[in-house]
Amino acid sequence: MKTYKELPKDAGSNIIGQVTAQANRISTRLASVKYTIAIMSGKGGVGKSAVTVNLATVLTLSGFAVGVVDADINGPTIAKMMGVRNTSLEYVESGVKPATTSLGTRVISMDLLLSDDDAPVVWNAHTQKDAFTWRPTMEVGALREFIGDTDWGELDFLLLDLPPGSDRLPNVVELIPNLSGVVVVTIPSDVSHLIVKKSITMARDILKVPIIGVVENMAFYVCQHCGEHEQLFSADDTSFQQITLGKIPFDPKLSLCNDNGTPYVHEYPKSLASKSISEVSQKIQDFFNI
Amino acid sequence: MKFLCIDCDTAMKFKDVTRPEQGSVTAVFECPECFTEIAMFLNPSETQMLKSLDLKLGGSNAAAQPMQLIRSQLETSKPDMMTDTDTSESAEGGKCPFTSVISDAFEDQSEPEPDGVKWTPEALERLDRIPSFVRPMAKMGIEGFAKDNGHTEITAEIMDAARGNFPAQF
Repeated sequence: MKTYKELPKDAGSNIIGQVTAQANRISTRLASVKYTIAIMSGKGGVGKSAVTVNLATVLTLSGFAVGVVDADINGPTIAKMMGVRNTSLEYVESGVKPATTSLGTRVISMDLLLSDDDAPVVWNAHTQKDAFTWRPTMEVGALREFIGDTDWGELDFLLLDLPPGSDRLPNVVELIPNLSGVVVVTIPSDVSHLIVKKSITMARDILKVPIIGVVENMAFYVCQHCGEHEQLFSADDTSFQQITLGKIPFDPKLSLCNDNGTPYVHEYPKSLASKSISEVSQKIQDFFNI
Repeated sequence: MKFLCIDCDTAMKFKDVTRPEQGSVTAVFECPECFTEIAMFLNPSETQMLKSLDLKLGGSNAAAQPMQLIRSQLETSKPDMMTDTDTSESAEGGKCPFTSVISDAFEDQSEPEPDGVKWTPEALERLDRIPSFVRPMAKMGIEGFAKDNGHTEITAEIMDAARGNFPAQF
C-alpha cells in the first residue's frame, strides 16, 4: 500500500497554489512600494498610533508618497486620528482605493468598514464558540488583504501601525518577508522597556528584521508656565540610547489633534514635539540613505 | 490531507463539496480507477479554519477579488462597505463576481440550529432584529440559556426568560 509521501501532493484543491496566489498578491502590490516599515512596541499605550500618524504626515509634507495600514484589526484608531473616518471605500478592478487625507496620505483601516462606532469586529461563523481557534487566522487574513488588495499606487513609504504584543511582528513578516525595518516605540519607564526589549529581540535576533531605531514617546513634559522640562516617567534602563531616533515630549495638544483628526505636526509645526518627530523622520531617511 | 483507495492503491481525487450544513461541509473524493466515492466531513471548527484561511476546497478558477475575505466574512460591516465602481465584467457576466465565489464555497444555507437546539420561526424573526454586531453573542447566550435549562427549542418565551442575562435588547 502506498504511503503518504508516495501520493500526489494535492487531491485537487491546489491548496499550495491558492496560498502562493495569496502571497503573490502582496508581493505584486508591494513592488510599487519602496520602503515598508512596521511601527511596533510590544507594550500598549505608548503612543504607537500617534507616532505613526505624525510620522506619516511629516513624510507626506516632505514630499514623499505615504500609505498607512492600521494593522490593529480589533482596535483601529488611525482613520479617526487622520480625519478620514467618513470615507466610503471604493472598490475597483485593481483593488480597493484607500482613504486619502487632505494632505495626501493614504490610509486603510478596519474602522472604515465597521457599521457603527460601537461595533466590534465580529466575523461570520456558524458559532462564535471556540472562536479563539480561528479568529487570529482571520485577522491575519484581513491584514493580508489590507496590504495586498489596497490600490496603494506608487509609494515611497508604507507604514504599518501594529497592535501591542511581541507576537504581532512575526505575522507581518510572514506576509512581508522583505520588510524594510521596524521603528520601536516606548516610553521612558522600566516596565515599558522590559516589554520593548522582548520585541526588539524578536525582530532583530529571531526574525532578522532591521531595527531602524527606538522612539521615546512622552519623554518629558514642557511646563506651560515656565518652560521647564519635567519628567513624566523615569527609567533607570539606558539600553536604547545607541539606537534612539528621537525623544518626543508629551503635549496635551497632540491628544486633542488625535481626537479631531488633524495631525499634530501639521497643526503645530513649530512645537518641540513636532520638531522631534521631524528629526525621527530624517533619521529614518538617513537609515535608508534617502 | 490525502486519501488512498486501498483496493486500487491509488490516490483519490477531489470530486465535490457541499455547502455548509450547520457549519459543516462535506467533501467527496473519488478513486479514478474504480470510481469508489468517500465523503469527508469537516466539523464546524475545521470548516471555519478553512474559511479563515480563505482557501477553497476543490480550488477555484475565479480570480481573487479585492478584500474578498473581509467583504464576505465581516459580520459587523457597514451595509455599503465599499462602492463598486469596477467596470470589468466577471466570467459569469455579472458586475461583481465576488459574491458567487464566496457563496459557492462557504455560504451556510442551514437554519441556525446548532448543537440540537432549534429556533421557532417567531424566535428567529426576533433574533434577526437584534443589531448585527451583538447578534452572534446574543444567539450563543440564548442557546446556552436554553440548553442549561433543558430546552431543545428556542421560543419567544425562552428569549424573554433569557433576556435578563444580556445587555442587548431583543
